[in-house]
Amino acid sequence: MEPLFNYFFVSLLLFAIGVYGLISKRNALRLLFAVEIIINAATLNFVAFSRYLPTPSASGQVFVVFAIAFAAAEAAAGLAIILVAFRLNKDVDIRELRRLRG
Amino acid sequence: MDIPIILTGTLAGSALLLPALDIAIGTKTNRTFSAYFTSFVMAISLALVLLSATSVIPLGESAAPKLLQNDFMGLVFAIIVLSVALMVSLSSIDYMRDEPNTSIYYSLLLFTSLGMILLSFAADLLMVFVAWELMGIPTFILVGYRKKDPNSNEAAVKFFLLGALSTGVLLYGISILFGLTGSTNLAAVAAELSTLDASMMPMLAFGVILAIAGLGLKLSIVPFHMWIPDAYEGAPTTVSTLLSAGTKKAGFVAAIRILAVAFPLLKLDLTMALAVIALATMTLGNLAALTQKSMTRLLAYSSIAQAGYMMIGLAVLPSNLGLTGLLYHSFNHALMQGVAFLAAAMISSRFSKASLEPYEGLSRSMPLTSFSLTIALLGLAGMPPLSGFWSKFILFTAAVDGNLTWLAFAGLLNSALSLGYYGLIVKRMYVDEPSSTQKVHEPVGFALLLLAASMVVIITGIYPAPIYDLTQKAVLAFVP
Repeated sequence: MEPLFNYFFVSLLLFAIGVYGLISKRNALRLLFAVEIIINAATLNFVAFSRYLPTPSASGQVFVVFAIAFAAAEAAAGLAIILVAFRLNKDVDIRELRRLRG
Repeated sequence: MDIPIILTGTLAGSALLLPALDIAIGTKTNRTFSAYFTSFVMAISLALVLLSATSVIPLGESAAPKLLQNDFMGLVFAIIVLSVALMVSLSSIDYMRDEPNTSIYYSLLLFTSLGMILLSFAADLLMVFVAWELMGIPTFILVGYRKKDPNSNEAAVKFFLLGALSTGVLLYGISILFGLTGSTNLAAVAAELSTLDASMMPMLAFGVILAIAGLGLKLSIVPFHMWIPDAYEGAPTTVSTLLSAGTKKAGFVAAIRILAVAFPLLKLDLTMALAVIALATMTLGNLAALTQKSMTRLLAYSSIAQAGYMMIGLAVLPSNLGLTGLLYHSFNHALMQGVAFLAAAMISSRFSKASLEPYEGLSRSMPLTSFSLTIALLGLAGMPPLSGFWSKFILFTAAVDGNLTWLAFAGLLNSALSLGYYGLIVKRMYVDEPSSTQKVHEPVGFALLLLAASMVVIITGIYPAPIYDLTQKAVLAFVP
């Protein structure tokens, strides 16, 4: 049980770092990194659980493979959008994005 | 027949075929080919699902029963999302006519529809996650489809960041559920959770709350609603239709499937929390909609308010009646919100502005669109002969049954409040004098589509039995 607890502690820490980044940062790329950290916290959970649970199960590791692949696809789509934003605004500061207001 | 697998092949195959055809034989020269092809594929898929729902074609056993569950719950949501996708692709023939790379647009539309369908049938948290991403990633691109338009791009940046966050939070919630049970299959998770040690309850609550938060970012429930008006206003309005009427419904089916597993086991009072969220969502949506100056923003806030009504069904969850109401309202809301958004899309593309001014005296220059929009808005407000009334009635009755009488009252008051802005639009169209009496061209196909969909709203309002029976069958098969 001991190693599982350590892994879970690290994963919670990563989750907290991600949430902190989302709240405090204003650069779209940093926000993307913060979200990636949250996703990686979850994948760390999956790997640790699938190895150290009383009945080890491979489905956690399968999940991780999917999670990594989809996080990469999502980052590709997101970077494309942020790149277009940079071309249009010469900046990726989300505070400057206030055209849509009601 | 194994409907989800067949639809996977059909939709994914067509989605891959479209860009390939574009390169191979240069369908770029024929801009409408992709649109008609996509609409054709959607229509065939919808026909297949409808035939299966009316038991003409047996639903059959799933080829992967641990991942996909062939049940009526999934079928009802497949009908909803495919009708929305068909409406969107048909209306895009006119709306997206002048945009480049239409084959990519329709290909992404097909992928999103496939994601929504797989989410409806998902029986495993892995499938939920995969379908969630398949539904989400194409919509990021679709929202920012007009890449030269700063509004569209701004909407895409906001939508992407919140969408990626929802993925991360949902994934973390799932990882905790996996850690507690050692399985990702929803049935196995439920079985394991029933023997869960009491000391692990706070962990379970943490995981379930994260999962709800992840889903809630797509469901547009308060406090995760901030991105909705921006994304809907900036995106091409056909894509807003897909987001509001389609992906949100798919989010609800995922919420039903996850909460139905965790709900009976949680010792904490999640009912009260969800009821408060429902109240906050509908009140905030309706109040904010009252002050909007742009039609798409107004509809975005009204869509938030409608999500609040649907949350009543989740709050009273062990109740069959609440679940029936939720399914029924999902169906009605998808149709009515679809008509309203598409009518707004047509009007804004004709007048090149999204404000409320063009609506003055619109009944004279665009009679068919005005009529469909009126039916849709009155249905959203819950006027008695239309289908929106019945589903709201069931939801409020379920709230009273579940000892949440105050929530039913709040819902009734909110419906009255929503007439304030829905009625204002109708008054503008029919009572106010138009600024110019010039006749505006209504594309025949588009107008016919709107009329047909609003006819469905009227007919299912006067004769609600078939839809009600179907949703009840779905709920009874889902809750043993």
